[in-house]
Amino acid sequence: MNTLSYGRAALPDAELVRLFSQMTQVRHLDTSAIAWQRQGILPGYAPMRGQEAAQVGSVAALDMSRDFVFPTYREMGAALAAGVDMGEYMATHKATWNGGMYDARETRVTPIQTVIGGSALHAVGWAHGQRLDAAAAGADEPLDLPVALVYLGDGASSQGDIHEAMNFAGVFETPTVFFVQNNGWAISVPTERQVAGGSVAARGAGYGIASIHVDGNDVEAVVQATRAAVAHARSGAGPAVVEAMTYRRGPHSTSDDPGRYRSLAEERRDGGVDPMDALRDRLLEAGALTAEDVAAIQSEAEAFEERVRADVQAQGPRPGAEMFEYVYQEMPAPLREQAAAWREESDHV
Amino acid sequence: MAELSFPLPDLGEGLIEATILEWLVEEGEHVERNQPLVEVETTKSSLELPSPQTGVVVRTHGGPGETIDVGDPLIVFEVPDDTAGIIGTVPKDEKPKRRVRLNVDLDD
Amino acid sequence: MSNAVATPPVDAGAGRTVPAERTGRTTLSMNQAINAALHDALAENPRTLVLGEDVGRLGGVFRVTDGLQAKFGADRVFDTPLAESGILGMSAGLAMAGYHPIPEVQFDGFTYPAINQLVTQIARMNFRTRGALPMPITLRMPSFGGIQSPELHSESLEWLFAHVAGLKVVSPSSPHQAYHLLRHAAQRPDPVVYMEPKSRYWQKGRVDFDEPGNLEGAHVARAGRHLTLVAWGAMVSRCLQAAEAAAEDGLDVEVLDLRWLSPIDADALAASISKTRRAVVVHEAPKTAGLGAEVSQLITERCFGTLKAPVERVTGFDVPFPSGSLENEYIPNIDRILYGIQRVLEYRRG
Repeated sequence: MNTLSYGRAALPDAELVRLFSQMTQVRHLDTSAIAWQRQGILPGYAPMRGQEAAQVGSVAALDMSRDFVFPTYREMGAALAAGVDMGEYMATHKATWNGGMYDARETRVTPIQTVIGGSALHAVGWAHGQRLDAAAAGADEPLDLPVALVYLGDGASSQGDIHEAMNFAGVFETPTVFFVQNNGWAISVPTERQVAGGSVAARGAGYGIASIHVDGNDVEAVVQATRAAVAHARSGAGPAVVEAMTYRRGPHSTSDDPGRYRSLAEERRDGGVDPMDALRDRLLEAGALTAEDVAAIQSEAEAFEERVRADVQAQGPRPGAEMFEYVYQEMPAPLREQAAAWREESDHV
Repeated sequence: MAELSFPLPDLGEGLIEATILEWLVEEGEHVERNQPLVEVETTKSSLELPSPQTGVVVRTHGGPGETIDVGDPLIVFEVPDDTAGIIGTVPKDEKPKRRVRLNVDLDD
Repeated sequence: MSNAVATPPVDAGAGRTVPAERTGRTTLSMNQAINAALHDALAENPRTLVLGEDVGRLGGVFRVTDGLQAKFGADRVFDTPLAESGILGMSAGLAMAGYHPIPEVQFDGFTYPAINQLVTQIARMNFRTRGALPMPITLRMPSFGGIQSPELHSESLEWLFAHVAGLKVVSPSSPHQAYHLLRHAAQRPDPVVYMEPKSRYWQKGRVDFDEPGNLEGAHVARAGRHLTLVAWGAMVSRCLQAAEAAAEDGLDVEVLDLRWLSPIDADALAASISKTRRAVVVHEAPKTAGLGAEVSQLITERCFGTLKAPVERVTGFDVPFPSGSLENEYIPNIDRILYGIQRVLEYRRG
């Protein structure tokens, strides 16, 4: 197994504080989004509690001025860290627009993807495009390529597209980082009933892809491991797999009842240390933060959530014409006729 | 017409070359697939190579006694442009047969 | 089989580097015409790519991509691993990176493993991203039957593609159409499925590079007064033969080559059938829920008052495409088309 090593040098306190602030925003927004669903603001939501370190930490290793992120539907933390407007992000859960309202090209984050494993091949293709661009420009080795980082989970690793993506990435040596959040559960099915052999990263060996196992609850380790993977890909050495071992501390979605497949005692046992608590305690002990700082960060997160909530609540339905407008760049005549008939016959303003 | 070149195949067990003993076909000759093409000698044995292709021989490489490396051109065929792909047959473009006759009684 | 020396690429404008200057008329087979169109698309736009199984060194199993890798290099014309979902998903990513991929699925039936990427990703990405990430992808595939190929190498999938919002679908019927429609498709900002009638690959025809004609909508392949045969792909030439047979019996048949199967040119259908007042639609796909039903309905909507008889369908049967020994029983032949015409002629309002 081609295991990629990564530095263990501590990150500067200031950076860890910044990460902690982001993670706090994410945790509070995630917790709130569940409440919004219970309050009728959102029809549904896919919580990511417990994956804050993995998501915020992995994006921290990217250069968002040139890299590109390919999320699933459970990457609110990654999207926030990448700079996506959270109101526009939540638009998908609000059922305003499938995929979210953010501009995928501007944000360099592809739309929220509901097909498990659906984005991995896109990350390979996009990354191959970067390689072709570099070749056309006559770039010298070692290369300095933009990198595609695609998120997937332990469940997605069962999909055929993930095999195809890893194989294509290996064959074409694309600058793709497969960031696996192994959160232990694909809805009700635990990893041991999902991943033969027990490790997604171990599969990298079969594709000749460098891989890293990392504690996904340790944000510092996630940053460093992802940086190593990104540097590997950026240099033109090919793709990398990072398997961040974490735990889905909440339900699969707001309509899921984990009590049917795991007990609270099991959750406490398997969940381990909450990544939020671990980082907070560490920063307090190191003197990088005071209790007052922690409280202030929490207040900021709450204020932020209030703004996002207001944005989400203010979102009305999109104009129905958009249903027709965005199907094609060049709208075919029959669709134009259907749009005209809709305008004529439907009760709307 | 198109040309299709075949290299000396790896005759197994790590042999890297073979010596031409005798060509069994001539340039300009039409050969069928599996028809013996050439007798060659390796360090292990002498053997006949069957043709991988139906077509007309355009060129052969190497005369009797000459050595050819595995992978170097051995023989070139001329094949029609409209050979089928990997699978299937080329349909004939012939005037179709008809059985049915129309009873045309237009009430226009 | 290795090291095959490729047939030189068809290049009617030999020595030219700007394909827009390819001029004049020449005779090409359809696979040569498609090869020329791919060549010119690659030459015209440096961000156009050709990818798929065996499209590079081998030049494709039907030699449609012959010589393109030698001319444009392995960065722009490349072999992929054997995985159709991978080919289409990678194409989606390349489109996101600003490329114009022209992926090949080696045979129609191999599209089934790629349906997920085609339907859930490529067809919807422009919609999902509100136009931010369009998918200028031209998906080519040898289509339909007629060459006695193995199972799942003779599918007619236009019924499926045409039903998917976000895709456009086109099928050429002649070398001239093949060249120009592919050039046109490859310049579109939306995904286009380009269905190549594989039984017509070797038939030669005139290609006029200077006069593409109208590339949108349907095309009148033969003008007639009494009845319209509506067809696409390989069935156009069969309908032309049926029209000749009908002419011997005194019936003047028009053949409308639909060409675009999504969107369907309803105006051309209406123009033709308002004139002939009778229609038979012919396709290879199974009858039930085939595109013939859609065509028939479009005709009914626009020409109901003038129709002399209900629209007839002459199609494949509701069975899996059979093995080669039976394909001539399955694919509409001249006699079945003539029977369909006869049913229309004999219809009397009761």
